[in-house]
Amino acid sequence: MGNIKTCVSLYSLQDEYLNKRMSLEDIFKFLAENKVEGIEIIPDQMLHNTPHPSEETLVEWDRLVSIYKMKPVIADVFLNTNLYKNRELTKKECVDLLIEEIKLANRLGINLIRLVSMVPAFVIEPLLPYAEKYNVTLALEIHAGLSFDVPKTQEFIDEMKRLNSPYVGLVIDAGVFCKRLPRVMADYCKHLGTNQEVIDYINDIFAQGKDPRKVYLENGGFPDDLKKLLKSEADHFFAHFADGYENEPYSILDEYMPYIKHFHFKLFEMTENGEEYSIDYKGLLQYLHEKGYDGYVSTEYEGNRWVLPGHPMVEKEQVLAHQALIRNVIKDLEGQEVY
Amino acid sequence: MFDNNVFLENTCKNIEEASKITGFELKTNITYYRGIPLSMVNDIRVEVDGEKIPRENISCSVDEVDWFTLDEMETVTTYKWEYGEPLLVRVRQDGGLSKGTHQVALDVIVRTAYIPVPLAGRKVRTVEIA
Repeated sequence: MGNIKTCVSLYSLQDEYLNKRMSLEDIFKFLAENKVEGIEIIPDQMLHNTPHPSEETLVEWDRLVSIYKMKPVIADVFLNTNLYKNRELTKKECVDLLIEEIKLANRLGINLIRLVSMVPAFVIEPLLPYAEKYNVTLALEIHAGLSFDVPKTQEFIDEMKRLNSPYVGLVIDAGVFCKRLPRVMADYCKHLGTNQEVIDYINDIFAQGKDPRKVYLENGGFPDDLKKLLKSEADHFFAHFADGYENEPYSILDEYMPYIKHFHFKLFEMTENGEEYSIDYKGLLQYLHEKGYDGYVSTEYEGNRWVLPGHPMVEKEQVLAHQALIRNVIKDLEGQEVY
Repeated sequence: MFDNNVFLENTCKNIEEASKITGFELKTNITYYRGIPLSMVNDIRVEVDGEKIPRENISCSVDEVDWFTLDEMETVTTYKWEYGEPLLVRVRQDGGLSKGTHQVALDVIVRTAYIPVPLAGRKVRTVEIA
């Protein structure tokens, strides 16, 4: 049986950091005090001048990791293929940028990189010697809206299978398993002016066990009866964004389990009864337990971007509530204490 | 989505150089959740009381040392606009903002790594010039 481990993505506390209510050290301290033993970091977010942070920044990182006994599990890496306005980066430019990210991950004591969705498949083979030399595995994120059947994702998966290296794999974002549209997203859009009829239409798609992306694909765009409801810019914004939440069965992971290195346990809203509003974590963890998954699952709070103006930011509370949920479920499944 | 990051409160003020008001400036956080090189800033737009400021009168800096016009910024890849650190936006305008109350609007538009359309944020603030 597996040994599922939990960690927290610092993405979850981004508003605290942005508005300087919490420094990187405050975040480490807060997590350590709440028995979190592993973190996921976006170097571009919290380590200035990534992929070449100053020696001072690196020394501070070492100090934080050491005194708070935190395991840096994974670095979320981006590839700025659109660095320039007038052209895409060449293959060589892409590979060179990612080599620097591999070196940085190694310097940070991290052995796993999450490559953002849509990273081109052609980077993998030239990067493999660096992945091996620096002992850093490269894993493409499978994110709702850009998931398994999207051509660029499929190309990456094909190349991953062809190369069949332990240094290449996948990160799965649990936003692929939304049973309901996140309520916080709908409420935020309603505040922007989205019509309730449009929200009801999308909610109904989920209630039928489907998701907006699938429905849009089947209809070659918005279905006609949805089009009729779209009257304002806010309606369109909502309808477009709604396709970033998928409603897949867990079994979609069956064939990919050998390649999965990490999970983003996406969190939109912890409800008062201690569950996530959209994603059934008990069900997902049960599935992973049965499959013998023994990697990390990382709390990734994203409700922060849907907080209505004037409402309090509740990142810390949401993270702790989600950690409590997933630790308890794992404990029940594995019959042991889990952090 | 990232509108709350745009146009930091109480940052809009006139710029005085050699006892002459040469324009005004304001600060903004990024409409994204990570830092990016300045070349990925797709556009910055400023409006005062409904009037658009000409693009060529706008310049930006991340360190208050080196300033770039929006056209120049398109090739600036080694200066990063960090998450959590404001971008300074300066508008060249003789006399700056006149005394009184103004509605100042700021649009920040950046390219991201994987989202096909640039991420935009807008904030309008009432600015008092004493």
